[in-house]
Amino acid sequence: MTNETLVKAEDVTKVYNTGKIEVHALTGVTLEVHQGDLMAIVGPSGSGKTTFLNLVGALDIATGGQLTVLGNDVSTMSKRRRADLRLHALGFVFQAYNLVPVLTARENVEFVLELQGIGGERAWRATEILDQLGLGEFADRRPNEMSGGQQQRVAVARAVASKPQLVLADEPTANLDGENAEILLSMMRRLNREQNITFIFSTHDPRVVAHARRVVTLVDGRVAKDQTKTPGPLSGAPAESEEK
Amino acid sequence: MDCGSLGAGGGNARMRPSISTRYAICSLRRHLRRTILAILGIGLGSAVCLFMIAFVRGEGKMMLKAAAESGAGHLRVVPAQWPKTRENDLRLGDWEKIRDLMRDTEGVTAVTPHARTEGLLAFGTRVAGVEILGVDPVTEQKTNRLVRNIPEGHYLRAGALGTTVIGRALAERLDVEIDDLLMITVAKADGEMSGAMLRIVGLAQTGSEELDSGICHVNLEDVESLTGRAGAADLTAMVANPKRLGHLVRNLGEKLSDDCAVVTWEEIMPELASGVKVDETWTRLTVGIVMIVIFLGIMSAQLAAVLERRREFAVLSAVGMRGGRLIRVMLAEGIVLGLFGSVLGLVLGLPAAYYVATKGIDFTKMYGGADLAVSNVLFDPVFKGDFGWWLIPLAFELALTATILSSLYPAWFAMRTDPATALRAEQ
Repeated sequence: MTNETLVKAEDVTKVYNTGKIEVHALTGVTLEVHQGDLMAIVGPSGSGKTTFLNLVGALDIATGGQLTVLGNDVSTMSKRRRADLRLHALGFVFQAYNLVPVLTARENVEFVLELQGIGGERAWRATEILDQLGLGEFADRRPNEMSGGQQQRVAVARAVASKPQLVLADEPTANLDGENAEILLSMMRRLNREQNITFIFSTHDPRVVAHARRVVTLVDGRVAKDQTKTPGPLSGAPAESEEK
Repeated sequence: MDCGSLGAGGGNARMRPSISTRYAICSLRRHLRRTILAILGIGLGSAVCLFMIAFVRGEGKMMLKAAAESGAGHLRVVPAQWPKTRENDLRLGDWEKIRDLMRDTEGVTAVTPHARTEGLLAFGTRVAGVEILGVDPVTEQKTNRLVRNIPEGHYLRAGALGTTVIGRALAERLDVEIDDLLMITVAKADGEMSGAMLRIVGLAQTGSEELDSGICHVNLEDVESLTGRAGAADLTAMVANPKRLGHLVRNLGEKLSDDCAVVTWEEIMPELASGVKVDETWTRLTVGIVMIVIFLGIMSAQLAAVLERRREFAVLSAVGMRGGRLIRVMLAEGIVLGLFGSVLGLVLGLPAAYYVATKGIDFTKMYGGADLAVSNVLFDPVFKGDFGWWLIPLAFELALTATILSSLYPAWFAMRTDPATALRAEQ
């Protein structure tokens, strides 16, 4: 496992203008994310967790500071280049699963591969990914024919189908019960360990925090705490921590 | 269309449409009722447009045919000054040579000479002013349907000089019968009055009193001797394919000398030509309005679909879908709607167009029994539409143009969806 820096945030700020009111979602965030990290961003609602993920995911642009993702200065990239960065190097998992409802699980995974320009082999590759993640039996089901946990696992399959270096998961377990959350987190940890995929979660969920090797706490848009720790066993028991 | 069957099982990849296409097609199934209503709208609109276009096209053809067969012909060779002066006194030089040249031109089916002069017909104390038409009896009846029906007597015969065929209404006005002698008076070229006695050999009946009261045909040689002007004033031709009229006019123009001009029926009967153009313009306007209604309806439905799917588009954008592909997806949805709408338009429009092409629409009652004669042209009161294979591509053209154009704005709107904002708004 290398220690390459994937994300470097230096004094990053994000201000939303909602009419006459300015909302400072992030204020001077400075941190680095390294290859192989399994990082949880925690904090109360409105602390800037999702905003940070959106900036790292090149979905939004910082108002100030410098944010480098996989060597790219996101704020200077065109819309098209940001889309390419997302397609080839980033994966997303959302709280509400957000699978395309009219497509089957396999097609949802295939869609990303098609966007990458993969032709004839994409169906086979999508099936292989679903099989690897134990989702083979759901391949031909549409989202409304699956449980929330199954849908979220398919969403993870979609996120990793393009072989990204970094997966951003926004509250991935918020809508899942304990058992499904454990299955999902185990799957992500396995992908992190076996494929060296870096994960950044935003979460309120202590189960997610328990699985993380690093926990960044945001309060009012600032980094309040940055801890590295040994992830707990899959049962979710907390582990000893080391504050930076 | 079953979306499941489109992609299920991962079958033969070469036979399967792309996921983007499947996504577009399946998205239309999401709100099946709305999609069906949209297709119904496109189909009905296309059917109305097809019917109107077919009818007006047929009506135009009928008008052209009626005008051509009412003595005007499809085209005429006239003296070069005629288009400006429209004087009956002008004559063609060496008209028989020109006639032979016209007859030898490919696409010309009949050629007949004419010479006109204004004159007074008198019988006893009754007098009528008419336009006397000098004709070649052998060819005139083939090109002029106004004198095909001679219920009493017969049409003019070649070489039988001093005879005339007049309309029945004119005969009644003058109170004459077959074999009566009419006194005819015309102005000669030198200004002197010239007169002759003409024996009535036939009475023409067109079905229009107005037209019947203006028919007075004599042999061309009689007009020559009465007016003192030798030759024909025009050579009227019928053509096999009126669509190629422009080509024929150019072809003839190149062959003829500068003292002749070739004019089409539109120049000969400008009021009728403008009537046809007005009809066509109204049709285009109506078709345009129907198309705009379809356009707005589809755009509204597509825009509603885009607004409902903003989060979906945001997610697709997040996973790396570029704006161009999103536009293609939206256009694919428009094309699918357009294709189904075209088929429905054909299903509804073709039978209606076929009916009006074969049975026609009878305007007899609308005209209250009055004849349909306008500008010396006799029209059939049963108007028939045009029908042919051209309707099929037209249906697709109409529906697809409307749906593709109406998909552009929603597609652009979808492309502009900001993923971060859309995802945040949904949360």
